[in-house]
Amino acid sequence: MKRLLFSLALLLAMAAPAVAEVRVAATTTSMAMLARTVGGEQVSVTTLAPPDRDAHYLQAKPSMIRVLRRADLVLAVGGELEVGWLPAAVDNAANPAIQPGREGYFEAAAQVELTGKYQRADRAMGDVHPSGDPHVNLDPVRMASVAEALAARLGELDRAHREAFRQRAEELGSAVQRRLPGWKEQVADAPGVVAFHKDINYLMQRLEVPIHGYLEPKPGIPPSASHLSSLIRKLKDGEPGVIIRHPYHPRGPVRKVAEATGWDTASLPLDPALGATAEDYFGLIDDYVSAIAGAR
Amino acid sequence: MQRTAWLLGLTLALGGGEAAWGQSAPYMGAGASGASSAEVTSGNRFNPDISVILEGNAYWDDRDGEADELTGMAEGINHAHGGHGHGDGHGHGGEAQGFNLKPTELFFSASVDPYFDAFVQAVILDDGGVNLEEAYFTTRALPAGLQAKGGKFLSGFGYHNEKHRHQWEFMEQNLPYKYLLGAHGIMDTGAQLTWTPATPFYTRFGVEALQGDQEVVGRFDGEEAIEDARLNADLAERLGTPEDGPRLFTVFAELAPNLGYSHELLLGVSGLFATDHQELHSEPVSHILSGESWVAGAEAVYAYDAPDQYGKGDLKLSAEYLYAVKDLEVAYHAANPAAEGAKREFTEDGFYVQGRYGFAANWRAGARYEMVGLTNEKKVGKPGQPAEYDSSSRVSANLTWTPSHFTRIQAQWSRPRIATGDGYETANQYYLRYILSMGQHGAHDF
Repeated sequence: MKRLLFSLALLLAMAAPAVAEVRVAATTTSMAMLARTVGGEQVSVTTLAPPDRDAHYLQAKPSMIRVLRRADLVLAVGGELEVGWLPAAVDNAANPAIQPGREGYFEAAAQVELTGKYQRADRAMGDVHPSGDPHVNLDPVRMASVAEALAARLGELDRAHREAFRQRAEELGSAVQRRLPGWKEQVADAPGVVAFHKDINYLMQRLEVPIHGYLEPKPGIPPSASHLSSLIRKLKDGEPGVIIRHPYHPRGPVRKVAEATGWDTASLPLDPALGATAEDYFGLIDDYVSAIAGAR
Repeated sequence: MQRTAWLLGLTLALGGGEAAWGQSAPYMGAGASGASSAEVTSGNRFNPDISVILEGNAYWDDRDGEADELTGMAEGINHAHGGHGHGDGHGHGGEAQGFNLKPTELFFSASVDPYFDAFVQAVILDDGGVNLEEAYFTTRALPAGLQAKGGKFLSGFGYHNEKHRHQWEFMEQNLPYKYLLGAHGIMDTGAQLTWTPATPFYTRFGVEALQGDQEVVGRFDGEEAIEDARLNADLAERLGTPEDGPRLFTVFAELAPNLGYSHELLLGVSGLFATDHQELHSEPVSHILSGESWVAGAEAVYAYDAPDQYGKGDLKLSAEYLYAVKDLEVAYHAANPAAEGAKREFTEDGFYVQGRYGFAANWRAGARYEMVGLTNEKKVGKPGQPAEYDSSSRVSANLTWTPSHFTRIQAQWSRPRIATGDGYETANQYYLRYILSMGQHGAHDF
């Protein structure tokens, strides 16, 4: 009995916030990287979706709900990328502070200009994002803007460290500006890429690398034989570049197109590893840049 | 012109109001004080999110189309209420051989204001009838992990109970639910309070007070039924009025340990108590039983989420066990008034186990085994053997193709083995089912 009471007391102690840091629930590792880079010691960050999963297709699991229940800030990529699970998870978390529109809700997509908006959209076009391409995480320049906005938000939640947040976001911005010319130089005149899904467009626009097509005939629709044939015909006309897939994408269709066209293939994650720092994130951009440059 | 300007002003004012609610477009120029809390969405947030779900099937069985009726004929403590022309899920006739249109589900949901969300689900039946299945509000802003729900809704009892038809992995309501809770599960009007404490692993607790308008557990046959049975009027007066509501109460608790990104395990227990339960029987001679009934349930759900895309390698297993008791006494007996006051205790249980596995991108296979009546007995309030009923079971397998996120094409085979009271009867049932969803991209609950 005494032991039971002791365990209960321990449980309650664990449930109480230990330190006054801002608890951030980031949906992806890219977002978690931003939170750690900008928030430093003043935040504790939990990632809801590991980088080896497609963040489109998750379920609102009890374990996510637990994290959201205790979060001070939800940091989402947004733009309906997590529409399949985040709204349900937030609704079930019984945590008013993190509802959309409140101080504890933050979407990267809401802080920057999006491209790829549809004037008219319907599901016959596939699983499209009518409000614009949400995949801002691979564009270092947009991410730097998101970092600035995040610094302002963290400053609202923890006023004592406003200046520190602002400075760290600024540092990230300068680091991006320092690296960008080098990246662009490496991929100048690269023949271009084929992507599996429309999720690396912002980076390609930033690097001014052409995208020659997608493995998916329409967003969210798996590659079909007829689509692959027409893609192969189209690619044969040009100089071979590189086909980029993420580790969770099926290999078969990529191999088929590569063999038929002589294009290179690269398997690169959409997000950095769990626990990634800004350096790791830049490393991921480096990997994209070398894959694109290597195709020459 | 002036009117146009005035309207424009009004629009801007309303737009300003919208911004204050945080549903506006993003701030231009990131880094503005506090940054944007907006949700970037294609939906117009002042209209409810709407989805419409179409379902239909082609059906064939080896009993001249009567297999579906057979599954409603299992003997047991709710036998008199097992079949009665109830299809699974929406209260209409069973499957006919050939083509069937299943109820069309309509969902509407929206935030009402900073304090409430509201949700409506209605179904349009194939004969044009409309049933309102759910119409409830939930709170958005209660402190301490509390959430309240009020209106008509599917109870939080059990795991499968809150799932809508289009989320069912198999065509028909599982046998334990069908016989021990009712074809719809527990769908009732009342209030729910849940508490999600900030524990190191997921826990959730809930209580409900419901009106008790049920056909199986806490059923109340009432005045009309007594008069229909041509029993005397003073009997209808004496026994025909149920207690004031709420007459149905539930409690439930669930927990999920932290198992990382790939594994999820949800365990739960539930209880359901009906304070006023009344049954009118005309066989062998008119008699009325009244008292209380309760059901206890346990659930376990395991999911493995593989890193592959389009559901490849994903596995989900779920199992539930229900134990139902009706604690009644004879309130009236047409042939034997001396029996009035005698105890009648009924007990029945059941379980289902089901699993599905994504064996290829967008393809999954599933299997389910269900049984009802492992314990299945009626005890009368005098010495002697209780009356025992046999158990019934069903085995099912299916194959599902999801060409996109919004379409499901499913082939299913079921083989019920039903104890009808004169031995066992079996059948083979074959379905080809489609489920298409239009409109808002619904989120996926676990």
